[in-house]
Amino acid sequence: MIGKQGRVTGKIGPGLVGEVMIAIRGGVEAFYAHPVDPRDEIAVGTLVIVVEHQPPRTVYVAPAFG
Amino acid sequence: MAVIAGAIVVGLIVLIILFKLIWRVAEPNEALIISGLGARSKSETGLDSLGFKIVTGKGTAVLPGFQTSRRLRLDSRAGNLEVQCVTQQGIPVHVRGVVIYKVGDDLVSIANAARRFLEQQASMDGAIHELFTGHLRSIIGNLTVEDLILNRERMTSETRMSAADEMSKLGLIVDSLQIQEIEDETGYITNLGRPHAARVASAARIAEAERNQEATRREQETERENAAVIRDTEMKKAEYNGQVKQAEQQARQEVILRETRNAELEAERTEKRLESEIRKPADARAYEQVKLAGAQRDERIAYADAAKKEAERQADATRVMGEAEADAIRQRGLAEAEAIKARAEALAENTDAVIAQQLAEKWPEIVEAGAEVFGNVDNMIVLNGAQGVEDMLAKALTLGGTGLGVARQLLTGLNATGGDPAANGHAPAKPIVPKPAAPDEN
Repeated sequence: MIGKQGRVTGKIGPGLVGEVMIAIRGGVEAFYAHPVDPRDEIAVGTLVIVVEHQPPRTVYVAPAFG
Repeated sequence: MAVIAGAIVVGLIVLIILFKLIWRVAEPNEALIISGLGARSKSETGLDSLGFKIVTGKGTAVLPGFQTSRRLRLDSRAGNLEVQCVTQQGIPVHVRGVVIYKVGDDLVSIANAARRFLEQQASMDGAIHELFTGHLRSIIGNLTVEDLILNRERMTSETRMSAADEMSKLGLIVDSLQIQEIEDETGYITNLGRPHAARVASAARIAEAERNQEATRREQETERENAAVIRDTEMKKAEYNGQVKQAEQQARQEVILRETRNAELEAERTEKRLESEIRKPADARAYEQVKLAGAQRDERIAYADAAKKEAERQADATRVMGEAEADAIRQRGLAEAEAIKARAEALAENTDAVIAQQLAEKWPEIVEAGAEVFGNVDNMIVLNGAQGVEDMLAKALTLGGTGLGVARQLLTGLNATGGDPAANGHAPAKPIVPKPAAPDEN
């Protein structure tokens, strides 16, 4: 799970519950997403990389390309 | 043999039945929850055991009597929501919506859901409905009507924020939350749309009017252009017609010019012909006549000169002749005078002789006078013809010699009567009478 890439489908930011779509288990599933850096804001459509996974469906992500 | 074969077949059948009894296969949309003897699996974190075994997408052996297997459906489920709530602006709305959710595919979610809903899968919808009506109230309370209608991002975001943790607890994930219908008792939405509707209507009317205007203008422009084109065409036509007429006129003029030229040439030719046929000959004739007249005049002048000279000559001659005649007359007069003088002398001496002589001299006249007597006779019948006349005259003349006396008588008779000499004789008889006296006078 950690290290996978995903695409933001709901805006990620402080005070928000974002959403990322991550390919997993042969399908694509939606995960609740929070930024690794609490001040980050990640817009919809940005590619992100999963830094931490909080089961069952919460991930902490950072932008994939810096 | 047959018994052995039959036993084998039976054994096979028994084996299959046994296998079917103990082997369970999980469909793609379900998870097998196996609990019982030895059914333990590590959780994803690997720290503690689940206490049961979760099998998805494959088969597994379940020992009858020792283990039990249940199926947990992973399909998505839809729950209808109907809620009376108030928006952020305090507007009461009646909302109907639908939530689509499913059991999460990961083992944690399956375990959570299995623990909560395994025996109550049918009642899951009710629970979710209750859960989500509450959540929907909180969601709508955080939104405005406009957001509810228009802002889907805000809607899903609010859904995630309000329902994420609880759904995670239940091992469920929300695929979608949709607002199907908003009933607005205060007419807010209607009024909300009204300015826009009015704006749209006015814009539509404006646009329509503008388009009408545009269309009218275009029509008018087109008509104007048409009229302009028609006018241009008419002008061009008129111009071309004018040109054609002009060309015709020019052609006619040219023809007229040609004809005029021809006529002129004809006239010229006629003139030349006339000149050559008439004038030249006329000139020639005139010239000839002039020349002739000149010649005639010259000739006449010459004639006149000649005549003058002739006349002069004749005058000279006449004068000379006259002079000569005058001389002669004078001489004769002189001679006559002398003769008369001589006769007078002779008469004085011998009257008879003179008379006789005189008579003799005048004899022709006498005869003539005698003849005149005959001439007065209308019808003289002479029996002997012409000879008879001669005879008579000869007799009369022969009588002369002897007829002196008669003559004297006649003369005297004449003198005495003093009769008109014209009655029976010639004038010369008259001077005879005074002659005897005349010498006296001379």
